Amino acid sequence: MYKTIKINAGDGGWGGPLTITPTDKCFTVLSVTGGGIHPVAAKIAELTGGEAVDGWKTTLPDDEVMVAVVDCGGTARCGVYPKKGIFTVNLMPSGATGPLAQFITPEIYVSGVKEKDIEVLGDAPEVAAAPAAAAAVADKGPKTKDEAKAEIAAANEGKKQGFVVRLGKGVGAVVSKFFQAGRDTIDMVIKNILPFMAFTSTILGIISASGLGNVIANTIAPLAGSLPGMLVICFICSLPFLSPILGPGAVIAQIVGTLLGAQFAVGAIPAKYALPALFAIDGQVGGDFVPVGLSLGEAEPETIEYGVPAVLFSRMVTGPLAVLIAFAFSVGLY
Amino acid sequence: MEFVAKLAEGFMSLFSAGGETFMGWVTGIIPTLVCLMTAVNSIIKLVGVEKVERFAQKITKYAVLRYTLLPLMAVFFLGNPMCYTFGRFCEEKYKPAYYDAAVSFVHPITGLFPHANAGELFVWLGIAQGLQEAGLSTGGLAVRYFIVGLIVILIRGLLTERIYAGMIKNK
Repeated sequence: MYKTIKINAGDGGWGGPLTITPTDKCFTVLSVTGGGIHPVAAKIAELTGGEAVDGWKTTLPDDEVMVAVVDCGGTARCGVYPKKGIFTVNLMPSGATGPLAQFITPEIYVSGVKEKDIEVLGDAPEVAAAPAAAAAVADKGPKTKDEAKAEIAAANEGKKQGFVVRLGKGVGAVVSKFFQAGRDTIDMVIKNILPFMAFTSTILGIISASGLGNVIANTIAPLAGSLPGMLVICFICSLPFLSPILGPGAVIAQIVGTLLGAQFAVGAIPAKYALPALFAIDGQVGGDFVPVGLSLGEAEPETIEYGVPAVLFSRMVTGPLAVLIAFAFSVGLY
Repeated sequence: MEFVAKLAEGFMSLFSAGGETFMGWVTGIIPTLVCLMTAVNSIIKLVGVEKVERFAQKITKYAVLRYTLLPLMAVFFLGNPMCYTFGRFCEEKYKPAYYDAAVSFVHPITGLFPHANAGELFVWLGIAQGLQEAGLSTGGLAVRYFIVGLIVILIRGLLTERIYAGMIKNK
């Protein structure tokens, strides 16, 4: 017997509460949280009477996923599932951020969730679950748009538009695209770029004003300022059990990049190491995102199962190799 | 009393240093970035994703293009994370390799085209800003980052393709 549950936003969280009811077709909890089934996903499955699966090992058709449990710091994963119309539970307290922020709404997304935030409402009534309804709405959307287009086309038939009207319409269309591009850009600056600048400059300020900067310059810079040192850093970052942890949102790579930048600024690391450094700090790129990225590419479950280790193992070779290539290409730069 | 005042001053100095850094980034990076991103975003909207998709379908069968031009187009036109959806144009056995190539290009592209992954700019900008402070130009570095990025994703694609094929065979 399935049960309806309610998931509230946790401390510092956003969105929700989500009321979720499993159906015979749609009862799976997809856990996409860096490997394994997260306790929150397990709890949801236990309370609803559904089933929790590991998104790293397997994937499902979207219409069979009742709810996706993710741990996304705010770039990609937290938007991917809302975009598909799937209920999304984020373990991190991220709000509507990232390139897909427009799809993250309180009706479909809740964040900062811990086990205690999930409660049982009662037995499932005999109605279709909301994702199915959402899918129905999504199906309906484009159709009505097509209908509207058809109506407009029908209305315009027989009326040949004059040159001026067509020119005006053309210019209007181009201007509106430019305007939308500007709006997208400002959105991106406010939602992603400025917050990152705020938090990184605060950390950097504390590091430099407290004298920690000198400690870093004296200990880490010599290691990072040599080819073998960079190869070691890159190899460590691309170890298959570390890369999924270091990957999310490229936060680690960005902070390390900024810290190294400060060392380049004072000349503690020679500028000729800039290009290899860009690759050394990024050996783990996307290591956290393989199953989601593959499912975005509509890969089969088996492809994901074998594709994840294939990508992670490949990195141990191509990570340090990238540093070497970058080093070779630095000749004559600075 | 004097001690408390000193303490407060020291505490504030921790953040005024951060404030200066922040101000430098906001005035130094954002104005150009906003105009560049708006221009490129407009071009993308004018070209239209459908045209890019039609072209992408044609080139997936060539190994070299599959791990260079295809991810480049996907990252440029769709950005992170929607660029991975171009994986659907590849045969099943190439999908992990395509993902590896595409995801490895989301940072090298930001030196020249920051719009493609504006949420993760500081992998590039962190280091580039440091070099600028040291009085060096970063244009050449951005171009080389882009080129080496293409070479690296080609190698990643080809190698991951082989590793994946091996794993499927021995499953």
